[in-house]
Parts: sequence; C-alpha cells; structure tokens
Amino acid sequence: MQLKRHRGELARRMQLLHRGGLVLLGIIAFGYWQVQVIDGSIYRERADHNRLRKLAIEAPRGLILDRHGTPLVENVPSYRLELDRTRVSDLGASLRLAARLLGETEEALRDQVEAQRRVPLFRPIPIAEDLSLTQVSRFAVVQLEHPEFEVRISQHRLYRYAHQTAHLLGYLGEVNEDELRDSSYLRSGDLIGRKGLERVYESRLRGTRGEQVVVVDSRGQVIEEYDREPSSAGTGLNLTLDLELQQEASRLLQDRVGTLVALDPRSGAVLAMASSPSFDPNLFSRGIAVDDWRNLIENPKDPLQNRVVQNTYPPGSVFKLVMAAAALATGKVDPSESFFCGGYSVIYDHRYRCWKRGGHGRVDLRGAIEGSCNVYFHQMGVRLGIDEIARHARLFGLGRKTGIDLSGERGGLVPDSRWSQERRGTPWYAGETISVATGQGPLLVTPLQIATMTAVFANRGLWVQPHLSTAARIAAPQRLDIAPAILDQIRDGMWAVVNEKEGTGRAVHLEGVEVAGKTGTAQVVQQATWTKNDDLAPDQRDHAWFASFAPYDDPQLVVVVFVEHGGGGSSVAAPLAKPIYEKYFEADLEDHPPG
Amino acid sequence: MRSISKPISRIIHRADEPSLVKRLGTVHWGSLAAALALALVGVFTVNSATSELGSGFVARQSAWIFLGLVICALALAFDYRKLIDLAPIFYTVGLVVLVLILFFGKERGGARSWISSGTVGGQPTELVKVATALLLARLLARVYRPQLQLREILAACFVVALPVTLVALQRDMGSASMFLPMLAGMVVVAGVRWKHVLVMGLLGLVLVAGLWQFALHDFQKARVMSYLSPDADPLGDGYQVRQSKIAVGSGMWTGRGYLQGTQSQLRFLPARHTDFVMAVLAEEQGFFGVLLVLGLYGVFLSGAAAIAARSRDRGGVLLVTGLVSVIAFHVLYNTGMVIGFVPITGIPLPFLSYGGSFMLANFLAVGLILNVDYRRYVNR
Repeated sequence: MQLKRHRGELARRMQLLHRGGLVLLGIIAFGYWQVQVIDGSIYRERADHNRLRKLAIEAPRGLILDRHGTPLVENVPSYRLELDRTRVSDLGASLRLAARLLGETEEALRDQVEAQRRVPLFRPIPIAEDLSLTQVSRFAVVQLEHPEFEVRISQHRLYRYAHQTAHLLGYLGEVNEDELRDSSYLRSGDLIGRKGLERVYESRLRGTRGEQVVVVDSRGQVIEEYDREPSSAGTGLNLTLDLELQQEASRLLQDRVGTLVALDPRSGAVLAMASSPSFDPNLFSRGIAVDDWRNLIENPKDPLQNRVVQNTYPPGSVFKLVMAAAALATGKVDPSESFFCGGYSVIYDHRYRCWKRGGHGRVDLRGAIEGSCNVYFHQMGVRLGIDEIARHARLFGLGRKTGIDLSGERGGLVPDSRWSQERRGTPWYAGETISVATGQGPLLVTPLQIATMTAVFANRGLWVQPHLSTAARIAAPQRLDIAPAILDQIRDGMWAVVNEKEGTGRAVHLEGVEVAGKTGTAQVVQQATWTKNDDLAPDQRDHAWFASFAPYDDPQLVVVVFVEHGGGGSSVAAPLAKPIYEKYFEADLEDHPPG
Repeated sequence: MRSISKPISRIIHRADEPSLVKRLGTVHWGSLAAALALALVGVFTVNSATSELGSGFVARQSAWIFLGLVICALALAFDYRKLIDLAPIFYTVGLVVLVLILFFGKERGGARSWISSGTVGGQPTELVKVATALLLARLLARVYRPQLQLREILAACFVVALPVTLVALQRDMGSASMFLPMLAGMVVVAGVRWKHVLVMGLLGLVLVAGLWQFALHDFQKARVMSYLSPDADPLGDGYQVRQSKIAVGSGMWTGRGYLQGTQSQLRFLPARHTDFVMAVLAEEQGFFGVLLVLGLYGVFLSGAAAIAARSRDRGGVLLVTGLVSVIAFHVLYNTGMVIGFVPITGIPLPFLSYGGSFMLANFLAVGLILNVDYRRYVNR
C-alpha cells in the first residue's frame, strides 16, 4: 500500500509536468503563429529581399550627331568597381585588399566610401572607375572570398573631336547630394550633363535605366533571372552643326582668343560655333583630376567659357549697321545725303575721332558703311538720340538672349536713358550717344547676337532664332518693322565693304561667291591719343569683329568672326571668315579658281 | 468482499495469463505512432533541406529510423527493472567512453564528441544519457517517502554532474545541458521541498555564473550575446537567428510548398537538415505544418505521460519521466530556438533532425517507455 500510494503521488506529479509541457508546446505554437501569421508578410518580404537582387541596367546615353550623321560623342565601355556594403564583414580588410589590387592607397578608397555614406546601404557604391583588364581579373580571382566587390561595365563618354566641339557638347559630371535629394531617379555615381548640349538635352539623352531582378543564393551567386525591365536608350540628338566647318573654325581660332559663328540665315541653324581657347571634355568623362581642373579654372584665358554666348563685348563698328537701319527707318537721313569726314567731328564741344586719321572726305550712307566712317555715324547718333538707337538695336535682337539651346547664354546690354536712370542713377549723357553710335560705350553684345543680327540683314528683315539641334524649340521667324527696301540700302553698303576697292572687308573678297559684311574694331580702353594697337598691352588691344553673309543675292551662310584683343576687324577678323566661305561654297568656287 | 476479492483477482489474473500478442495489445502505442509519424515528416523535410547537398541523406536517415525501430524492439525485450538494476554498469561504461573521447575524439562543428568507427559515426553522449536516466531511476526509486531529502537530491546531482562535466569538457554544451531537464524532471516527480528547490536554484545560478566567467568559450558567449540582440550584427552571430526567423515567417499559413522554400533551397538557412530542420518545415509547409508537428509531439508527450501514470512502480514512473523530459526539452528548446525564443545551441529536434545516434537514442527511449507499459501487470 505504501509503495502504491507513493507511486500514485509520483504519477500525479508526472501529470503536472505533462500538462506543463503541453502548455509550453502551446506557447511555442503561439510563437510560430506570431512569426508566421502575424508577421508573415514582413518575413516573406525579407526573404524576397534576401534572394532577390536588383541590378541596374544602365541605359546607353543618346549619341550626338552632326548634320551629316557623324557621331560627335560616343559611349565607350569601361570597368568600374563597386562595393556592396551589406556584404562587407570587415571594411578595413576589404579596402586594404582593394587598395592593393588597384594600386591605390587605402585612404583614398576610404574617402570614396565616406563620401557616399548617405547612399542607401543596399545599393552598391562605385569606388574605382576605369579598371584595366588586369585589375578586373585580379578582382575576379578574389570574388568568392570577397563577394562585396563587383566589377560592373559602365559607359563613359568619348568626345571624338575633343577641343573642337567642347563648348557646344559640354560634358558630364557626377551628381551632387542636392541633386540626389531632389531626384528619385538619380543614384550616387550617376553622371549628368553639366554643360552645353549634354546639359540642355539631359532628359532626352539620358534614357531610362532598366532593372534586372535576379535570384541569388546565400553566397550571392546568381541562380536565375527573376524579372527584367529593359532599359531604354537615350534618344540621339541631331545637330545642325557641320563638323567640317566646325573643325575649320576651330583651326582658324587656334592660338587666338575669340569666336567664330556660322549659321544658316534662312533657318537659324548653326553650322559652326567655335570658342577659343577650348578644353578637352574627355577630362571630365571619368571624373576630372584635381590638377587638370585647377589648370582649367586658373587659366586667365578661361577656356571653359563659351565666348559665343557667355561673354559680352562692345560691338564696335559692326553696330553701324543698326545705326544705319535706324536712321533710314526713322527718316533721319536720306541715303544720298553726304557728310564730310575730316578725321574727327566736334560735337557738344568735344572731339570725337574717326578711325581714319586723314578722314574719309565726303561720304554718303553707302560710303560710310563701306569705309566704316565714324564721323557719319556720329551725326546719326546726334539725330537719333539714345532711345531711338536702343529701340532699333532691340529690333535686331540685341539686349536679349537669342534663346539658343545652350546653357548660360547672356543677353548683353542695350543702354538707353531709362536704363541709365534706373541702373546707374544718373541721367544719360548725350556724349555717350556718340560712343554708342560707333558701337562703344555701355553697349554690350554676344558674338551670337551679332550673328543673328547679321542674319536679319541677310534675310532682308526676317529674324530667325539660332539653334544647334533639330530638336530645339524654335521660335517662329519674326519680320522686322523695317521696310526691306531700307535694309537693301544697308546690304548694298555691306556688299561694298567686301567688294569695293576701299572696303574694309576686302580680305574676304571671293571670285564666284559674293560676300557682304561689316568689319568692327571695338576699343577696349578709351584712348586720349592715337596709339598704334601693336604698342598696347595685349589685354588693352582692340577687339576685332567681322560680320558677314553670302551669297549676296541669296544668303545661305552668315559668318561672324570675333577676336578678343585681336586688333583691327579689317586686318585680323575678316581674313578668318574667308576659309569658312571657301569651305562652304567649295562646289561653287571650283569654277572660279582664286586669283 | 474486499478481503476475498484480492486473492481471487490474483488467481484470475494468473489463470488468465494473457498471451504475448494480447499483452502487446494493451500497450499504449500512441507515443511510438507519433514518433514514427514525426520521423516520416523528418525524412521528407531532410530530403528538401539536403536537395542542394547531394544524395544519401534520405537513405541514411531512413536506415537509422529502421535501426531505431529494431533498437526499440530490443529495448522492449528486457525487463526495464533489470535494466535499472544494471544501471551502475551502463553508467560506468558510459563515463569511461566519455573520458576516452576526451582524449581520442575528433572535433566536429566546434565540439569534440564523435567517435569515428569505420564509416558510421556515433555520438555516445546520447547513450550515456539513457544510462544516467536508468541510474537516477534506480537511485530515486529506492526512496520510500513522498518527498526527497537534501542528501538524496545531492546524490542525484552528483550522478548527473559527472557526465555533464565530461561532455562540457568536449565543448558540447548543447548535449551537456540536456542532462539538466532529466535531473529536474525526475527529482520533481520524486518529490522535492520548496526550500530545496530554492537552494538548488541558488547553487545553479552560482554554477552558471561560474561557467560564464571561466568555462565558456568565446564562441559560446558570442552565441548567447547574439541571442540577446540578433539584429546588432547582420553578418555576425545574429545571422542564423535572422535567417531562421525569415524562413519560418515567410512560410505564413500554408508555406511556400515542398522544395520551394527560398531560404532553405538557396542556402540562407544554416544547419538546414539538422538543428534548423523545423525552419525548413515551417517555411515550406507553413503554420499548418508547424501545428501538425507540434501536435504530434503533444500526442507523444501525452502517450508517455499516460504510460507513466499507470506504471506499476516508482522506477517506471521515474524512468519514463527522465526519458520524456529530455525529449520534451529538446523539442521545446529546438522549436523555440528556431524562432529566436532561446539562444542557439546545437540541440536537434527529436525524430526530425538528420542524425544517426540521436535518432537511435530517441527510439531507444521510446522502447524503454513502452517497456514500462508492457510490464505494468506482471512481475517476472
């Protein structure tokens, strides 16, 4: 009995233990319910995140072609090293290894990683660009032990004609943190258009990145493709540019500081646009080196500047075309009315010089344009007054941006009495009008504005918007409120400039194609006395201008040459336009050998 | 009535001595059925878990189950009371083997406990556990009081402490810790006073603190620390828990489907066919599958408890308690570890996890439990 009673007692305790065990099993079941049912979808997502890896398929950037379809910029594959930080177990060791394989310092790589600290962790970050094949194979060898490193093929831009198209095409640069914040599309390390057409047409050229989703195992090895969203390549950009003409323009400006613009006056299509000095945009394609960058920005000649649209200069005598148009349109002068030029004029008790010391003698409108007589236009200035001059200057598109598809264009300055009052706080001085009449004073223009202005004369009164790409939004041509007959008087003068014996633009004279134009020599400093330009310091020498079009009867090409501190428009600028015409009208000129 | 009925019943009993088959029919087979069902589920799960590891796993696991049934039958053949009587011998042999392993064993998975005899590896710790259960049953069955005295408790502790120390020296903390539920279960069922529990608890605490300070290896400490904060170091020690929970959770109600678990098939899960086999099952069969398995363990426990309840002597109750405690603790710890309830230790899941000696030991335990039931009427 004793034995049995104790056994019963033991069995009772055993039952208690048994129930306790069942309760614990129930708790475990509850735990699984919690994980599988309550949080199940979260864990399923994590499982997918575990096994699914999204790989970006970079979209090839659109090519940029000249008007004949010649590619000006291409995409070239290069190898880039990326670091997947979620797989790094010891960052120091990883970086040491990478530094050894790349032949770089660990600190440099660490800086790279540090700079991209804010990039989401799951996204691999680029730490080295443009690996050699040897380096690529080194990383392939350590791939199993170091799955954190990935070598990806990326594209970089190759600007075929480097310096020659640098200012037009621009270049790419890495996105900065602000841009990354503002864009959901951009990712760290992405390159976007920073200057020129690359910047203006960024969204068109960029295309859309695709995505490949792959299943990976715990070692990161790709098992299979899960999903794929193909990338769509950027749309190409066809330019109005003529590569041969552009190259010729660049060559002509070599060793000079200045610009050359050639455009089709019928459409506004830019055929050549060169700015000198230039730079190699390929330096930017893989991230520019500090030294190269310093050389560029510290260069006093500022090679990064596109002088065609980003710099403004006094137009000098080229402005006389506008003066003539204004005077005729307002009836202030009759084309046959002549003035005597004795080398200077005295207005408001002040002596204003003509560039020709001995004077032009008696000149009418045609003669004044042909010989670029200052005295004649001094008189026009007096007759018109600054506001009337300014009004007409604006008619020709001066004082405002042309709207060309380039970034950073400046509008220049067309001063008038209101401007003086508002901006300078002083009334306009009548004497300044005399300066403006010959394209001096506060008046400032871009070389491109002079080109569009010249196109208006070529077109006998039709303003066209200059543009570089066929994709540009082009404003409709505008007819000026000036009778074509009046403009014909001035065109006749422009013809004389190039084709008459005394013309200042005689240097451009061609047999076979009639060129018309206007030279300009813009003073940089006010000169109290006559000083030969060659005796001046280089940065005080005159700017040389030449604005022209051809053929005279049926204008197809406008060429504007500008040489900064070049000296005389007649001797320096005009000769540079000639090879452009020769190249463009090659076929027509073959029948008329020079001489 | 009362005075007559007893001798008569005894006479009738003797006259109606049931045949072997009839006696076998009275045995509570529920535990064995549940164990077999679990083993079957285990074979399928191991097959899925090892689909990337190559062939042979399923065949070996099946062979062990078959061998386990043979051992189960063998265990049924000898009277458990004889076995309890012989316990000191088994126990001594076990200790000697453990000492030998300590000097000649091979290291596997950070622990030194497998003896390699030819091609079949064996883990004698599992057998020593059974021997210890038998010895404890013998020790505690001889106490003819409803409650143990401190002296007896300490004696029981000593019996357990020897193999625990030897196993712990092999750096196999998982196996070593499995002696404690056995001790606790048997002592509690044998009867303890609350103040003794308190004293034991304090002693245990000091022991654990001492172990942490002096005996635990760094990797073991790291395991415990990773349990406390699994998300702190995604690629470090928390990795296993995280991957395991992802596997379990992603199974949701009905699971990813057999062989479709991404965590299992793409090798994100560690020890998929052994310690984390439950995670594979949970991922592929979902919460329903988990409930089925936990339910089968419930059936196993209840069956064993029923056998204990109708056992004819103290030794039987205690033996069943000791064996079931170990299995139950394995189940609770392993399933809890898979979902991050408890730190990760090398504790496999009875009947499901891949592994030979563990499977054999568990079927040996089942055989002994059935043995107690089989011999509940007669004294021979």
